[in-house]
Amino acid sequence: MTSYRLDERGLIDRHTKLPFTFDGKHMTGFSGDSLASALLANGQQLVGRSFKYHRPRGILTAGAAEPNALFTVGRGGRTEPNTRATMQELYRDLEAKSQNRWPSLEFDIGSLNSILSPFLSAGFYYKTFMWPSALWEKLYEPLIRRAAGLGTASYERDPDAYEKCWAHCDLLIIGAGPAGLAAALAAGRAKARVIVVDEHAAAGGTLLWETATIGGNLAADFVTQTLEELRSLRNVRVMTRATAFGSYDGNVFGVLERVQKHVPEPVSQKPVERIWRIATKVALLATGTEERPLVFGGNDVPGVMMATAMRAYLNRYGVAPGRRTAIFTTNDSGYVLARDLESAGVNLVAIIDSRAGSTFPYGGKARVLRGAVVTDARGGRLLSSIDVSFGRRSENLKVDSLAMTGGFSPIIHLACHRGGKPRWSDERSAFLAPETTRGIMLAGAADATDGLAGCLANGAARGAAIAQELGFRPFPFEPGIVEGDVPAAPARPLWSIPGVKGKAFVDFQNDVHRKDITLAVKEGYGHVEHAKRYTTNGMATDQGKLSNINAVGLLADARGVAPAAVGTTTFRPFYTPVSFGALTGAHTEGHFQPIRKSPLHEWAKKNGAVFVEAGLWYRSSWFPRRDEATWRQSVDREVRNVRANVGLCDVSMLGKIEICGKDAAEFLNRVYANAFLKLPVGKARYGLMLREDGMIYDDGTTSRLDDGRFFMTTTTAYAAGVMNHLEFCSQALWPELDVRLASVTDQWAQMAIAGPKSRTIVQKIVDEEISNGSFPFLGAKEVSLFGGQLRGRLFRISFSGELAYELAVPAGYGESVADALMEAGSEHGIQPYGVEALSVLRIEKGHVTHNEINGTVVPADLGMGKMVSATKQDFVGKAMVSREGLVSPDRLRLVGVKPVDPRASFRSGSHILTKGAAETLENDQGYVTSSAFSPHVGSTIGLALVRRGPERYGEEVVVWNGLSKEFTPARLCDPLFVDPENEKLHV
Amino acid sequence: MSEYRVTRRSALGSNALRSERICISALPEGHVIQVMGKEGGPDLGAFLSEKIGGGAKFAVRIAAPFQWYVVGDRALSPEETDTMLDTLHPHAAGVDQSHGRVRFQVEGAMVERLLAKGTGTDVSVEAFPVGHSTMTLIGHIAAHVTRVGEHAFEIMVLRGFAESLWDDCARMAQEFT
Amino acid sequence: MASLVPCPHCGMRPKEEFTIKGAAIARPGSHADANEWMDYVYLRNNPLGTYDEYWHHTSGCRRWLVVTRDTGTHEISASCDVTVAVKTGVAA
Ligand SMILES: [Zn+2]
Repeated sequence: MTSYRLDERGLIDRHTKLPFTFDGKHMTGFSGDSLASALLANGQQLVGRSFKYHRPRGILTAGAAEPNALFTVGRGGRTEPNTRATMQELYRDLEAKSQNRWPSLEFDIGSLNSILSPFLSAGFYYKTFMWPSALWEKLYEPLIRRAAGLGTASYERDPDAYEKCWAHCDLLIIGAGPAGLAAALAAGRAKARVIVVDEHAAAGGTLLWETATIGGNLAADFVTQTLEELRSLRNVRVMTRATAFGSYDGNVFGVLERVQKHVPEPVSQKPVERIWRIATKVALLATGTEERPLVFGGNDVPGVMMATAMRAYLNRYGVAPGRRTAIFTTNDSGYVLARDLESAGVNLVAIIDSRAGSTFPYGGKARVLRGAVVTDARGGRLLSSIDVSFGRRSENLKVDSLAMTGGFSPIIHLACHRGGKPRWSDERSAFLAPETTRGIMLAGAADATDGLAGCLANGAARGAAIAQELGFRPFPFEPGIVEGDVPAAPARPLWSIPGVKGKAFVDFQNDVHRKDITLAVKEGYGHVEHAKRYTTNGMATDQGKLSNINAVGLLADARGVAPAAVGTTTFRPFYTPVSFGALTGAHTEGHFQPIRKSPLHEWAKKNGAVFVEAGLWYRSSWFPRRDEATWRQSVDREVRNVRANVGLCDVSMLGKIEICGKDAAEFLNRVYANAFLKLPVGKARYGLMLREDGMIYDDGTTSRLDDGRFFMTTTTAYAAGVMNHLEFCSQALWPELDVRLASVTDQWAQMAIAGPKSRTIVQKIVDEEISNGSFPFLGAKEVSLFGGQLRGRLFRISFSGELAYELAVPAGYGESVADALMEAGSEHGIQPYGVEALSVLRIEKGHVTHNEINGTVVPADLGMGKMVSATKQDFVGKAMVSREGLVSPDRLRLVGVKPVDPRASFRSGSHILTKGAAETLENDQGYVTSSAFSPHVGSTIGLALVRRGPERYGEEVVVWNGLSKEFTPARLCDPLFVDPENEKLHV
Repeated sequence: MSEYRVTRRSALGSNALRSERICISALPEGHVIQVMGKEGGPDLGAFLSEKIGGGAKFAVRIAAPFQWYVVGDRALSPEETDTMLDTLHPHAAGVDQSHGRVRFQVEGAMVERLLAKGTGTDVSVEAFPVGHSTMTLIGHIAAHVTRVGEHAFEIMVLRGFAESLWDDCARMAQEFT
Repeated sequence: MASLVPCPHCGMRPKEEFTIKGAAIARPGSHADANEWMDYVYLRNNPLGTYDEYWHHTSGCRRWLVVTRDTGTHEISASCDVTVAVKTGVAA
């Protein structure tokens, strides 16, 4: 393999050699190389196969737009497909593999597609795979997916960390080239908070390969000095390896920082990638330009390269493009490359200038062919010659490398992400940023400025002006005299090259060639958005950075209109692909969502709880004993023990809200459907909260602690929602009421002590008398505990239907108090019980939860119609709850249901059919909302919402589970399966 | 069971994470009183600082419009709490949150960088001077943040989330330790 | 949707701190007829242009705000506390 590395030149560290492999081949590069420059230096021009025709492809660019050199880099969980070699820094022992080839890069069977190419034209998939549709899933889609042939993601766990971060600044400068650096200095010296981001490993942009001097200094030295000064300013931050990928509302920019993508072994303390959300007052796009390819036959043969890229490889990396080089240009920039190539000793054969009238004073040795075009490039895996046509003559030139430049387009993506449309400039022959960009300005080449001196001056002026606009005192910055620069004024674009024979590619990554575009127009898909979808031009991972402008030009030519009339497709984030890892950030695995722990968590844990995630909470679901083989055994035992003895359950997760103020009672009266105004101090009451549409929103108990102080509990699931709702009611609906709300959920550890022996146990720790007479059902009061050591709140409420208490103590004491209760209850058989047992106990009593209160249910549906106040002037839901449809006797209403055969069972979600009815939607009578095995009843029991339910107690129905095709004969019944007279509550 | 000695479990224990550029340490579970003034009522900051904050630095923090937290390292007896709440009357209603809110401190040279990984609030000293407080999301968890020094912030969070937020902060601190 | 939402009490905050309820429209009085209630509960305008919405600064000061947002450009032109909005008639 021949080396293309020049002996001198470049910003690489020739003392640090870096070994790496490409498709298993061992190669060596230098520190400072990109993977692409290292490959080129090693003579590896062939780097991939094209998407559709499997044509050999080479490195085309030196930047973010690279469509060809996409590799799979790394191994194991660090495997990263579609890595652009032009953006990947070389590191020691980097492993790169080419993609989209089989069995090897050199010999690729898929290249037979090239021979089949008449059948693979634009719209091919639409035309071919339209019929029969049944074949889509089994045949076409797998075929297309396999042929798509981009890299394959790893199934292994990614070992690396990612994170997200916010930053705030006055001025965000995107691009650290000449304009960006000048702007940063001007604004930074003025003391504005400045952040500069650049997607490359080193700041400097084009200055890194510029041969002109600035104030007598080499351009690269100018970069070093400028960065030094910027880094000394506390108000300026310069971030490299940081791609601004999106511009969002509020002038927030998404930036992907590749923190450790350039090191062999990332350290675990740092993320490998970090997404920044940068909120800025003003953003300045100093993003430069994208060079346009020229659409001639074989413009994709390895060895054909963008002119700027060739110059970058030559000057920045010290890599020669080949042994015999030609330049195909439409503008003066080609001559700058010519000068640099010749000064580096590269054999430049010819400059093919499409302009007949070009008068550029070229003084080099190469032939200059004016008014000439390259019609075709020839060669297989490497360029061998080009056909040049000028006037009526044509000539074949032997070359192994060809630079092409079709002019420059300002990179304006970020100025368009929020919906602005680019506007075509005839003068510049380019699309420029939209008229209004809201908080975004442009500078330098992106702002249609020509030449290095122009960009430096323009950047400095923009930076100073923005700083001044933001109220900072501007500080002059004079970059110094530029010498040796050749500003390339825009030239007439060359969309359609006459005389082309071979395939002339427009979109390299998606293999769209010129004829596809003209075909799209012919077939009626000439609108730019249609042509994009019809040809897939611009739809690859490079999003048409190189291809879109040529597609627009060719569409314009084919339709006989100006590019302005064609317009562009819509610019959307992301500017370049962003990994899922970075988008996910730190919220993975154990950090996926917050974990909310009850103050009794440790108590439950040491009592052997099995936890279940309920929202963010970890709740104890049951407490297995050694001799129990199944969870059902544990739950049955816990349920029986509550009914026979006493159990202790952690209910700290219930939402708790303290409601204070002299209008607190009136406020409650308006947010609950039932009456609260006259609730006596020391009493709790069950409350039903409705939505304005009349449906039940939530339920719970609220106790009056004092005249102007209430303690509300909500369900666990709706705790946050109820608080938001109450705040809305107090702030937006009735601000005239004196009411103040505090969430005290976390202040209290709350435990339910339920069962016939609960009073005996609770009395052991409560200092006050709590007999039935002094503290009857629905009592609520502050109590003293353990001989005055502690104060708690005791409520005589029951979810299980047994004699029961809920005791709230300050959270930090929760575990200690629960321990004491367990100790006090041990002689009475106390056992902890979890949410599963809690659920069985409440189903046995027909108590509802959000299984039943599912947003379709009004109080009457649950037999609570009488609770809804008829006398209150107003409450949330009053106006709508008595609507015709909500009072219809045909509504689904709450019933109990149990299987006819006690050995049979059914599941929640099953539907109810009238006995003998066919299983159709029309025959649907309702559905089971909750079900459980009831140890008390000795069979599965359920709650169900059934049409005219309460009128049908005793009726035999069929419980139908359509998913598992089960039909269970069952009987509708009163939903009170235990103690229907509620006698146990009042003992 | 008056012979039983009730003990208190702290949410974060005496956890601490110390390095040169960043330290995270649990603060004593003393007292936190949530003070709710009347909507549109007067600024009670000075009153609270004098009457129940004892004039201590950062004892009174703005919680929300017309709401404050009075915070201290010392745990109060029920009687002391009652006295405090009585003092508020009739200017404001108070709720004891001493167990419901847990505090820890984050300090060190990299403290702003650490917090920026969690919150979208601008925590630079220009935008967030010493003594300033606000409620904000840190990652997925809402917390009350107070700047108590040039390089020091106090974080106050719901007890149930304290461990989780601590873990998140420790992870954010990793690259600075 | 806006990335940053100005809260009159807390300043610019990321939208993740907020909960949106929807159109800021006044609740009918207790004597309003069924049609008014139907409109309030179910009927919404869907304008292209400015729109007043209830936003709750849930993970911040927990105040309800009326945020005026352009549905076309997502630009927020005003944000005030709901009690202020009620007083000045924006939401009432
Ligand atoms: Zn706020």
